[in-house]
Amino acid sequence: MIDASETRVVDCDWHYQDSFKEVAEYMPEPWNTKYQNSNWDDAGVKQNLSSFFPTSTGDRQNYGKVLREHSNYPDEPEEPERVREGMDFLDIDVSLQISHLILAMGGVNADDERIQAFTEAYVEYMLAEVLDPDDGVYGLAPIPYGDIDASLRILDRVEDEEAFVGACFVTAGASPPLGNRKYDPIYERCEKMDYPVVYHTGGSGLDEYVRAGYQEMIETHTLGFLESNMSQIVSVACQGVPEKYPDLDIVFMESGVTYIPGLVSRLDEEYLKRPEEAPLLDTRPSEYITDFYFGTQPLEISARNDLLELCFDMIGTDRLLYASDYPHWDFDSPSIINDLPMLDDDDRRAILAGNAMEVFGV
Amino acid sequence: MSADGLVEVGPAEEFDDGDHALVEVGRAEVGVIKAEGEFYALRNQCPHDGGPVCKGNVQRELVGEFTGTGERVDQHYSDNCIVSCPWHGWSFELETGEHIGDDRIRVPTYDVVVEDGVVYVDSGE
Repeated sequence: MIDASETRVVDCDWHYQDSFKEVAEYMPEPWNTKYQNSNWDDAGVKQNLSSFFPTSTGDRQNYGKVLREHSNYPDEPEEPERVREGMDFLDIDVSLQISHLILAMGGVNADDERIQAFTEAYVEYMLAEVLDPDDGVYGLAPIPYGDIDASLRILDRVEDEEAFVGACFVTAGASPPLGNRKYDPIYERCEKMDYPVVYHTGGSGLDEYVRAGYQEMIETHTLGFLESNMSQIVSVACQGVPEKYPDLDIVFMESGVTYIPGLVSRLDEEYLKRPEEAPLLDTRPSEYITDFYFGTQPLEISARNDLLELCFDMIGTDRLLYASDYPHWDFDSPSIINDLPMLDDDDRRAILAGNAMEVFGV
Repeated sequence: MSADGLVEVGPAEEFDDGDHALVEVGRAEVGVIKAEGEFYALRNQCPHDGGPVCKGNVQRELVGEFTGTGERVDQHYSDNCIVSCPWHGWSFELETGEHIGDDRIRVPTYDVVVEDGVVYVDSGE
């Protein structure tokens, strides 16, 4: 066991509770005015609306059961100083901030530029008001990957900003899936910038995840958060992104770890029967996928220990990144990693900080 | 089997491209396959599920090449001839016996000799 308070801890997934109201101030027109006049106000953070007439099955906080002492979530937009307060509470030294609101981008069907406007404004807002590398608060730049030019503009903007250390792709709703050649220019740019690509699952479309009619969040969150990542892992691997851009670091966030052995085993079986359909691969997809990095949260600590041990062994303790997901409802504290009996202290230090320091250069 | 370890398969002229014949070599069943004028011999047992791999379809291998950012993968048939197990499609290079997706998986291969118009498999004994 290590003492988390004495050891460096890097959290690869902290959600900054941004509000449309605050981000809109940095948006270009007409979006600035549109948002200010939309009556959305802070509704993006608050979930009162979706809790009872759900736009996503049920209430994240389970109708008042889940409370957050060190964040304004889910009642009000965050205040930047509360991020540091929460990090101190969890003994986290460095956090990578990911937009809370952008997780819903997959639900936008309109052929307009609201996602582009939001992501560009979010970058400016975070730089101006939240991120503080000297205090361990870094960010991942949200990528509006449906618009390649806008994505490249974001990367141009953040390239020389110490506060941003990677690109974030929300996997929910990505269509075509993210292995498609359409996205190549973004990957090429990220590889040149030495910018890790962080695929982060999301909840948009959860209510009608594959089929409509689920009744509870336990169903849609279990399935949808998993499927959003699985679908992109399969696409990214089979379409050969790691072969096209071999120096690109690929990270998948927020689906735990137990799905990986099942997914890669199934994919390998398919590959051995039809390898010509993944013609850029030199070997089994599993060998590429286990070179990806995986955020640990929400770690399935209630699973059989030998299953978790198998998952860690298959992925590799040099490929796992501690992630809290704070202040969301199913966050993990560093003790989740520290308490695992099959790890030695070197593994714990690697997962809690060392691997992330190497990938993100923080 | 002859004293020099050759196992007779049959007259070469009876083989068209894509044809195969099965012979016993020791305790193994071996498939002799003609592809693009050349003879190959592999053990007729797929390492996946034991299927009769040599009875499968013979064709050139479909390969793909990354030609540039944003470009569709260029797919074309290579010079490499493969045989695909008819049970599940596991496919092997005729020349080497290697699985086309994972060269750690291999079907044993044998040398083929054609003498006086007759095809033989060299048992290696």
